[in-house]
Amino acid sequence: MTESLILSPPTLDCTGLTTREINQQLKKLAAAGADTVDLLNPQGRHNLAVAIEAPLKVRIRGPVGYYCGGLSEGVDIEVDGPCGWSVGENLMAGRILVKGNASACAAASAHGGTVCILGSAGPRAGISLKGGTLIVQGNVGHSSAFMMQAGTFIICGDAGHSLGDSLYDGTIYVGGEIASLGADAQLAPMTDEDNALLEQQLSPYGLATQDYAFKKIVCAKQLYHFKAQDFSKFKDAY
Amino acid sequence: MCGIAGIIYRDESLVGHLGADLAALIQPLESRGPDSSGIALYTRPIAAGQVKLVLRGEAGVDWGAVQDWIEQAVPVLDTHVTADDRRFILDLTQDLPFQVNEFRRALRTAFPSLHVMSLGQGLEIYKEVGAVDNLIQKYGLTTFQGTHGIAHTRMATESVVDIDHCHPFTTNFDLAIVHNGQISNYYRLRFQLERAGMVFETHNDSETIVNYIHYQLLQGKSLEESLEALLHDIDGTYTFLVATPDKVALVRDKFAAKPAVIYEAADKVAIASEYRSLLQLSNFDPNALIREPDAGEINIWPVTTPAQTAAVLSVIGS
Repeated sequence: MTESLILSPPTLDCTGLTTREINQQLKKLAAAGADTVDLLNPQGRHNLAVAIEAPLKVRIRGPVGYYCGGLSEGVDIEVDGPCGWSVGENLMAGRILVKGNASACAAASAHGGTVCILGSAGPRAGISLKGGTLIVQGNVGHSSAFMMQAGTFIICGDAGHSLGDSLYDGTIYVGGEIASLGADAQLAPMTDEDNALLEQQLSPYGLATQDYAFKKIVCAKQLYHFKAQDFSKFKDAY
Repeated sequence: MCGIAGIIYRDESLVGHLGADLAALIQPLESRGPDSSGIALYTRPIAAGQVKLVLRGEAGVDWGAVQDWIEQAVPVLDTHVTADDRRFILDLTQDLPFQVNEFRRALRTAFPSLHVMSLGQGLEIYKEVGAVDNLIQKYGLTTFQGTHGIAHTRMATESVVDIDHCHPFTTNFDLAIVHNGQISNYYRLRFQLERAGMVFETHNDSETIVNYIHYQLLQGKSLEESLEALLHDIDGTYTFLVATPDKVALVRDKFAAKPAVIYEAADKVAIASEYRSLLQLSNFDPNALIREPDAGEINIWPVTTPAQTAAVLSVIGS
């Protein structure tokens, strides 16, 4: 690594580059030993910093489009602005911090790592979450945590209708109001372990657990196997 | 996928930018809809009792015969040629029977290779198959003026790719829609609307939306009431824009399945399927209010100039 790389992080201007070229450049920089890259003029473009399998810090200086950071493993992304649909989709490990609002399907199917939205998130946040942690400082839209299978989903604000519908497993915490719970999601008592976990997850982002009245939602496990007597629960689900 | 966009100016001095702004909004949306594109613009209304008729003719249309046919039905004040289109100004002040659906049907029967693009005092619709640039270049869209308008890029999923099946869709004077999504109860809705006397000219499911709204308006409902009823009656995925001479509305289905981003600044309201489109606006203000509509949300913006808004406020205040 050259000395100039250590003194000031390399910058990559998206202007004039195809998305494929940007992602290839990021991988090359990571392979050359860079630990931080500033990505300039993202202009709401889709598929930025996708499939980065290196502990590279990517600071995106502006709003991004769909699938930002998706399929990555070990990347550390900061977005200075809002992001479009499915930020961090299928994230395996690492961290994505969005300093604005997120559109629909934040952290969809993420297997690991942490996605933190400092604004609000749209509908279907944490859909099919398979591990890792999704933190939303603001509110989330309807059908969030739909078919969530594992991991932790922390919502400091309010949750829209059908939260946790068809939840399999994992834990949801909500600091504000819940418009309605979906099929097979139920409230559970908060324990000291829950508070310790929230403290540990939220403090890196300057969020204080005691500022919110967190409620815990888990799977009631009533719909794991179909039974004819439960038909109405299936019929009314969603 | 499809791409939709809309503009409502709040600053009188911007009306000359409408064609350029709408073209800039839909150009990035070509990746969402590469099959065709279209645009519906609202100019200042022409004189009372007159309407603009925009027709698209395929190669070999005998425009002289068309002109004669129209003049048999209604006096023609002016004829203007733009690329493959003819724009006629019709005089409806005389005491002649003129029914919009009847006229459209009779014209299409007499000239099957003609496409009735639009009818209205402000509305003009232009459509083209293929890339957005085809449309912009063919009609010189960037010079077009107007107070508001909507535009579309189409990825065909349910019906063929041709001029008739391109958006925007219109069935009535000065009424147009652009739609992203699919209508699930299309056949039943179409059957019900046809029984109620509505006329379908294509097999595109999006035509149901404009026919449904037209029907509700004919029942005496306001646009607001029509759209409330629509959320209940139309099943499927939809984010669509509907435009009238004095309003533009954005409607999103209850599952929020299709995207939209709203930009509200002092000088204009702009709507686009994706955020990156908004960055193409000629004087994009990063401090403007930018938000997404919620599931089942109806937004309606009046088309008013600041002078009109001030006049209304002064009346309320006095």
